Amino acid sequence: MRVIVRRVGWGLIWVALLVFAFLAYQLFVTDFLNGRVQAEAKAELSTELEERRVELPDPEVVTIEDTAPDEPAAPTTTLAPITYVPEVAGEQGSTLGRMVIPSIDVDEVIFSGVNADTLKMGPGHMPGTPVPGQPGNAVISGHRTTYGRPFYDLDLLEGGDRIEVETATGRHVYEVRRTLIVAPDDVQVIQPLVGAWLTLTTCHPHFSAAERLIIQAELVEGPNLAYANILVAGDVHHEENT
Amino acid sequence: MRRIWGALPGPTPVKLLESLVLLVVVLVALFFLFEWAGGLLDSGGAITG
Repeated sequence: MRVIVRRVGWGLIWVALLVFAFLAYQLFVTDFLNGRVQAEAKAELSTELEERRVELPDPEVVTIEDTAPDEPAAPTTTLAPITYVPEVAGEQGSTLGRMVIPSIDVDEVIFSGVNADTLKMGPGHMPGTPVPGQPGNAVISGHRTTYGRPFYDLDLLEGGDRIEVETATGRHVYEVRRTLIVAPDDVQVIQPLVGAWLTLTTCHPHFSAAERLIIQAELVEGPNLAYANILVAGDVHHEENT
Repeated sequence: MRRIWGALPGPTPVKLLESLVLLVVVLVALFFLFEWAGGLLDSGGAITG
């Protein structure tokens, strides 16, 4: 009997050590690894953005003709031309820009792609959605409790809080409009939206991947704001660049 | 530990080498186990439709 008790005791000690090692790895080692990558990425950010800027397509000038809807024969008025600055995402794992959320102390370099390796480096831009600052619904995902936990406090964001994203095309400022909690496969939240939106996704609740916390924010400042506004007004049809 | 050391074949230098290999194998196995289990805590937050 004593031998069995001793073996069970040793077994429990080993299990406890294993759990302790697991928690230490998840909470400290992954943070340390992510911190090194982020520090390096921040140091090289301006160079990376400059390289991306060189590869950007030329800005487009959009001219809108305004005709009274009930008088098709009436003369049209040409409004002031609006500049649209396009940008497409780079290859998986490449630097895309920087995201700052002052109200929850987030300051992270963001990368292209949302595969496991990319998200270990920092928040990632979902392929197939527009780059932040572009018309449509730009989607960025990030870890909640491991690998630097960039989105740990995302649930504390309130309507009107600002999210600043710097990309090769400039600085884009969004304001939080809504918070949702959805299933991990609820693709509705990443569907295209009219105007220019930013959707942040992360795991929910803390220490669980059972659900997703979604923050949706609308562009309020940036080089493409005027273009986004005319999309909302319905004056122009936009083909998404992703 | 003592039992594992005793079960390793060969003289002490060989046992040391075997222990090192065993340690690396255990650490690699733990790494994959922790990575898999970590995905249950926090998968990265992407929508996987």
